[in-house]
Amino acid sequence: MSKLSPEELERYDRQLRIPSFGEEAQLKLKSSTVLIAGVGGLGSIAAIYLAAAGVGKLRIVDESIVELSNLNRQILYSTEDIGQPKVLIASKKLMELNPLIEIEAIQERITEENVEELLRGVNLVVDGQDNFKTRFIINKACVRYSKPFIYGAVYGIEGRLMTIIPGKGPCLKCLIPGEPKEIEKIPVIGSAPGLVGALEALEAIKLLTGIGEPAVGRLLVIDGEALSFNSIEVKRDPKCPVCGRK
Amino acid sequence: MKITIKAFATLRDAFGGRGFLTIELPEGSSIEDLIRELQNLFKLEAELVDLGKSASNIKILVNGREIRYLEGVKTKLKDGDVVAFIPPVGGG
Repeated sequence: MSKLSPEELERYDRQLRIPSFGEEAQLKLKSSTVLIAGVGGLGSIAAIYLAAAGVGKLRIVDESIVELSNLNRQILYSTEDIGQPKVLIASKKLMELNPLIEIEAIQERITEENVEELLRGVNLVVDGQDNFKTRFIINKACVRYSKPFIYGAVYGIEGRLMTIIPGKGPCLKCLIPGEPKEIEKIPVIGSAPGLVGALEALEAIKLLTGIGEPAVGRLLVIDGEALSFNSIEVKRDPKCPVCGRK
Repeated sequence: MKITIKAFATLRDAFGGRGFLTIELPEGSSIEDLIRELQNLFKLEAELVDLGKSASNIKILVNGREIRYLEGVKTKLKDGDVVAFIPPVGGG
C-alpha cells in the first residue's frame, strides 16, 4: 500500500513518472524541511517550485515588505500586495498552490544572532538573498552545522549557481574570498532570477532525494546575453577562514 | 596579437556595457600586461583594480581555464586567446 494519499498520487503524478524519482523520492520530499532565505526574485521562484513539488515544510524568512519596484521579478506578489509583508503574502500564495504542505513564515532579517535558530531542523538552505553580507552569515552557519547551502545570484541578465555541501566541496568563502562591494539597487531583468531560482529548486530536490549530481565544486555562470551556460571548477581553499581544515 | 575579452556583470558595465571586446597587445604579453592595458583604457574603480591579486574575488579564465591553475597573472597570452573576467554577483 502506498504511503502517499490518493490526492498526493494525483498531484505529483507527472514527477512520480520520472523513473529515477518515484514514490520513494516523493516521500523524502514530504519529510523534508527547507529554509528559503529570502523571498525576493530568487526565493519567489524557488519557493513556488519547492511547494509545487511537495517539500513537506518550507520555512520562509524575509523581513521586507512588497514594493512596486519588486514586481518585475518577485512573481509571488501582485500589485495589490504592495505594503504587505512578503512572508505573509508568500505563505498565502504557496498554501493556495499546495495546501498539503506546511509553510512557516518568519518576518525577520537573517543575522548572526538568529541564524542558528533559523537553521534548526532544516535539511538545507536555498539562497534568496540580495547581498553578500547575509550570504556570508548563512554560509558560515551552514558550514558550522553541516547544512547544504544552494548559492544563487543574479546581475542584469546573468546568473550564478553553486551548491555548497560542507566538507564535500568549496564553500561560498572559498569562491569569494574577499568582501565585494555591495550594490543597493542591483540591475536585473525578472527572468534571470526566474532561471536561477528554478535551478536552485532543482538542486534542492536533487539533494533531498539523492537524485543526480549536484553542482558541488562548480560555479555555473549563466550569460543571458549570449545565452551560454558554463561551469567553472571551484576548489576548496585549505586556508579558507570558514571551512578550511584546522 | 589580438586578445578577446569576455566581461561579466559589473566588469561588463565598466567596459562600456560590452560583453566582448578585442584588445591589441604586443607579442609575449601576460595577463598582468592585459590588466594594465584595461585599467588604462577604462579607468577602473578601486574594487576592480585588485584584478589578478591572489585574494581577488574576480575569476580570470584563459580559454576557459582559471589562471590560478595556470601561472597566475604571469600567464602568457597568445594571439586569439579568449580571456574571461568573472566578478562575484550578489543580486537576488
